[in-house]
Amino acid sequence: MRQMSVAAMAAIAVLAASAGLAGCASEGSSSGASPTGTAAAGGTSSSAAASCSNSAIQGQLFAKGQLTVATDKPVYPPWFVDNKPTNGQGYESAVAYAAAAQLGFSKSQVTWAYEPFDSSYAPGTKKFDFDINEISYSAARAQVVTFSDSYYDVQQALVALKGSPIASKHGQADLKGYVYGDQVGTTSLTFINSQIQPARTPKVFETLNDVKQALQTKQIAALVTDTPTAEFITTEIPHSVVVAQFPSTGEHYGLLFAKGNPLVTCVNKALATLKSNGTLAKLTARYLKDFTSVPTIKP
Amino acid sequence: MQDLPEPGPPELALPNLAARRSRLLGDSSRRGIVLSSTSTVVVLAALVAIFALAPGSAVVRHTFLNPTDMWRSFLGNPRAGYYSVGEAIWLNIRMFLAAEALILILGLVVAVIRLSTGPVLVPLRILATVYVDVARGVPLVLFIFMIGFGAPALRLTVVSDQSAAVYGVAALVLSYSAYVSEVYRAGISAVHRSQVAAARSLGLSQWAALRHVILPQAIRNVIPPLLNDFISLQKDTALVGLLGAIEANKAAEIYGETVFNYSSYVVAAILFLVLTIPLARFTDHLIRRDQARRLAGAGQ
Repeated sequence: MRQMSVAAMAAIAVLAASAGLAGCASEGSSSGASPTGTAAAGGTSSSAAASCSNSAIQGQLFAKGQLTVATDKPVYPPWFVDNKPTNGQGYESAVAYAAAAQLGFSKSQVTWAYEPFDSSYAPGTKKFDFDINEISYSAARAQVVTFSDSYYDVQQALVALKGSPIASKHGQADLKGYVYGDQVGTTSLTFINSQIQPARTPKVFETLNDVKQALQTKQIAALVTDTPTAEFITTEIPHSVVVAQFPSTGEHYGLLFAKGNPLVTCVNKALATLKSNGTLAKLTARYLKDFTSVPTIKP
Repeated sequence: MQDLPEPGPPELALPNLAARRSRLLGDSSRRGIVLSSTSTVVVLAALVAIFALAPGSAVVRHTFLNPTDMWRSFLGNPRAGYYSVGEAIWLNIRMFLAAEALILILGLVVAVIRLSTGPVLVPLRILATVYVDVARGVPLVLFIFMIGFGAPALRLTVVSDQSAAVYGVAALVLSYSAYVSEVYRAGISAVHRSQVAAARSLGLSQWAALRHVILPQAIRNVIPPLLNDFISLQKDTALVGLLGAIEANKAAEIYGETVFNYSSYVVAAILFLVLTIPLARFTDHLIRRDQARRLAGAGQ
């Protein structure tokens, strides 16, 4: 999916220009030239401050003077802590506040809105500036909404109960024989069907809690989710273990904007700065741990 | 509106139905027909125009009625992350048929217990009454979760090893049997007491009177409300998707969230309509046939 990001960035740059944002458009083209490169972003950050200043982006905001950030309910660690997006704890909450700070918003100027995932892409005006809810970029989705650049590159992982068959037998051929479970709307299902290609239809649940329940009662052999979430689940379910993670397919999480929202240009600059100055790496280390201990296996 | 009979061929129209129909359509004179057709066309055209001319019309049409998305979600493509809504509806149909058969039996049993009079059956009557009160008061979603997640957690041999569809059907049966038992009970209560007296005076036992005299009349009376419940049941099979089963609504949801488009829900809705509309027409047919029989019977 990474190869699509150049096209997506080009589209964003065109949209920004067509929206009449002369100041941002020239900057947009420079950042568009290096959508995934973090080295170049550091050089543009000083000039970015000029056109992406807090006063310059006021006209693009949902509510003046406030950065309105949306997420779902409930929210889970390690992305959020204590189900409170406002506390600045957890990776996504911290990233949102860090990006807001880059755009000149104080902590009290960040407002959180509730947006269920399945209504986040509904047509019509959005009630937020951007939605941060572990939403994976895909080309099809990007036709309906606008995504920011990646703020986390995702790998899928398997969680199972200790001692269950899949915990010990997970060779490429073995993997096809299990019943998998995941949460509806996640790219994990796409991963299961396109990469693992199991013989039996996976079970698809409404919430992550339902998937966890199904794992505990052995209705599924393993649940598939991103590695940080998988790690967290093992702290919740007794005798569960992250069996393995899969190699990256280029999947990444992006902030979700209304289609064509020009604010994405400045938010992307903020993200680029956070990447180049090491903030994202620091937050990853703090909240998402180091997953080198989890073996990587082929689907 | 759905309770009113459809305009059908004139030879089927019975006197009372014709009267109701003329009330629905207004004056049946030529001038009346012209006026009613014109006003219908004007209202429909206005609604279509409002939809078509709204500023966001194109977006709404793309989001809900996009033919490409509708076709893709109907066919499905698991490798791309979504399943066929057209295939998934078969699970709804199978669950509906299984649940319906069980509900008809369990509902009748509960109704008969509640109407029984023997002193020995008091505990059963209390149990049946409590069951109906609780089952009708508790949201179906809770039943589905309780059985779908509760039964596997019990770790019993047969009980805990069933598929999501089986647990879903069990929850549907538990919930709907309570409603249906009340429909039966109303039907049984509506049969005149003199019928029981007449049957008993002919030497039939209480159970024989119930079975051969009361129930045939009662059930014929309640077929329309029973079918009404079953139309509702067809749609509620979608709730079994909560247990991870990929039925039509879940398949539509998966498609929608994979590509961010709701047209798949419309596909699921159309498939549900294809199921429910014939059932609604069949209900009307039964009502008409029943009325015709009664009128014929009255002449004998």
